[in-house]
Amino acid sequence: MTAAHSDPIHSQSDHIRRAVSDRAKRPLTVKVMDWVRDRPEGGIAVMFVLVQLCCIIGALLFPESFRYLLPANLSVLLKSIAVPGIMALGVGVLMVAGEYDLSVGAVYSLLSIVCANLANAMLGDIGMDPHSALAPFAAMAVALTLGVAIGLLHAFVTLRFNIPSFITTLGGMLLWKGTTLLVHGASALRFKPTEPFATLFGGGLGIIHASMIWFLAFALLFYFLLHHHRLGNHFYAVGGNRNAAVAIGINPNRTKAIAFAIAGFMAALSGVIAATRVGSIQPGGGLGMELQTIAACVIGGFALNGGRGSILGIVLGTALVFTIQDVLLLLRAPAFYFDMFVGALIVIAVVMNTAIRRGRA
Amino acid sequence: MTVHTEPLRPAGLAGHPGAGLVPTETPLYEMRNICKRYGSFTALDNMNFHIGRNEVVGLLGDNGAGKSTLVKMISGINPPTSGEIYVNGKRTEIRNRSDSEAAGIETIYQDIALVDSMSITRNIFLGRELVNRWGFMDHRRMQEVAIQILGSAVQISGIDNPDKEVGFLSGGQKQAVAIARAVHFKRNILLLDEPTSALSVRETEHLLAYVRDLKREGTSSVLVTHNLYHAFQVCDRFVVMSHGTKVFEARKEDTTIEEVTDHVIRT
Repeated sequence: MTAAHSDPIHSQSDHIRRAVSDRAKRPLTVKVMDWVRDRPEGGIAVMFVLVQLCCIIGALLFPESFRYLLPANLSVLLKSIAVPGIMALGVGVLMVAGEYDLSVGAVYSLLSIVCANLANAMLGDIGMDPHSALAPFAAMAVALTLGVAIGLLHAFVTLRFNIPSFITTLGGMLLWKGTTLLVHGASALRFKPTEPFATLFGGGLGIIHASMIWFLAFALLFYFLLHHHRLGNHFYAVGGNRNAAVAIGINPNRTKAIAFAIAGFMAALSGVIAATRVGSIQPGGGLGMELQTIAACVIGGFALNGGRGSILGIVLGTALVFTIQDVLLLLRAPAFYFDMFVGALIVIAVVMNTAIRRGRA
Repeated sequence: MTVHTEPLRPAGLAGHPGAGLVPTETPLYEMRNICKRYGSFTALDNMNFHIGRNEVVGLLGDNGAGKSTLVKMISGINPPTSGEIYVNGKRTEIRNRSDSEAAGIETIYQDIALVDSMSITRNIFLGRELVNRWGFMDHRRMQEVAIQILGSAVQISGIDNPDKEVGFLSGGQKQAVAIARAVHFKRNILLLDEPTSALSVRETEHLLAYVRDLKREGTSSVLVTHNLYHAFQVCDRFVVMSHGTKVFEARKEDTTIEEVTDHVIRT
């Protein structure tokens, strides 16, 4: 730049710097209000807090009929959030990269059965004598590796033949569901792993079950991956504008393949953790979870066409959906109310987010 | 300038179709006999093109002439079907963005190549994030550099928050961000594909002045534009394309705006 230009230029940078520091000095309440207004997960955070407040007030007013605050209920609630939450983390990361995985429910069932069968075959059942402490870990490692492999297979088919992942993983869902019945049949399967595996994945601290701790640990890990790591940045770029990502030198297929692998890994992990918690596996247990987790992500502010979403959104979305389920159970409402509520919530969440975005554009 | 040149006659009439001006010194970048085919469709046909040192080349032609194909090829995201590319006189394969980045080429795309759902800072550093050894991003440093970039390249009206999502910017502001990004990372060659289409008159003047400043500092540019008056303000040499071939080439001192216009319209 020539000297003649340099003065207004410095003032331009200083102007931005001043504006940035002014924004940093906003009072906390203003910051929170702006966050709620600007972020897609902001609206859902407000809704989550309101639902919790209503539940707590209700529980305080009617402690006999609405036992929301009883430790037993809170424990059940946290457990019910954890497993779909773990799965939703993988589904959400893949959605950010602009793809879907409809097969996670089927993969969840298949790989938990694979894990249990392998563990039992290697004397990993607590009832066996002698039994092996390492067997469940080895079985789990196999299941998680298979989860990654299945994710990569979906990625290969989707990216190599350039077809929508919706179709690939819809096919995958039916394929893996069929595979489950082929290798195992429709009967329930016992999974009572040896220690220390049982405590590590099925124990807990007070009312907080181990699955919840794993969920929070992975949420934290994924928070750093998605929001602070270069790879996460590339997920957003590839999902937000594939052509721009290519033009800037990001390999979209490699990036998306990693996201598919993460979704497969998390589906397998959630399956193993759920099996450990329950102690037995129903081959049809994962049915419908793919849509529940996508619903949780959408409610948490994820865009269906990719490039948008946050880990906080996944956590809040899952927590909100399963809080509502818990409340309905406490009110002894028939199960179909849950579907109706979640259905309405999805539509409301997307309407809200679209309105926010249009209002600011 | 002591370059002796003669304007090219329309392709087919000259002895070497599409040969154009022969560079007198080793050019910064040169493509020889480049073809690009999509199935049976030929987007670039035996194209010769070069970018000299301290030179602004105006790439002109009507819609569908192959200008954007050529720009995408130089920037690496659209490799040629056949032909040779030389960087600083050395035969070089440029088949993807990393290759062209290594050659010091930056591009401002017509369709802007920004991710709407990401912040200005993240867009500026996309693919070139400032990270520590484990790959985690240094947000504070990226923001500070982003502020400097936003203040220096082009005056961008109304941007005061580098965390703002690009999707909420106006067309001109978006273009300014894309320009600021390319200008910051450029080393040898800056490609500008219709950079002024969404800019205001004042922003356009700034950008053209900036292209001239860059030339003085040793960065060559290729300006793709429909606006011949903009081209005549900054370009040293004009290349007119039509149907994937070069139909006219002349240095500024050897031609007139009327002649260039005539070639753009007629072919």
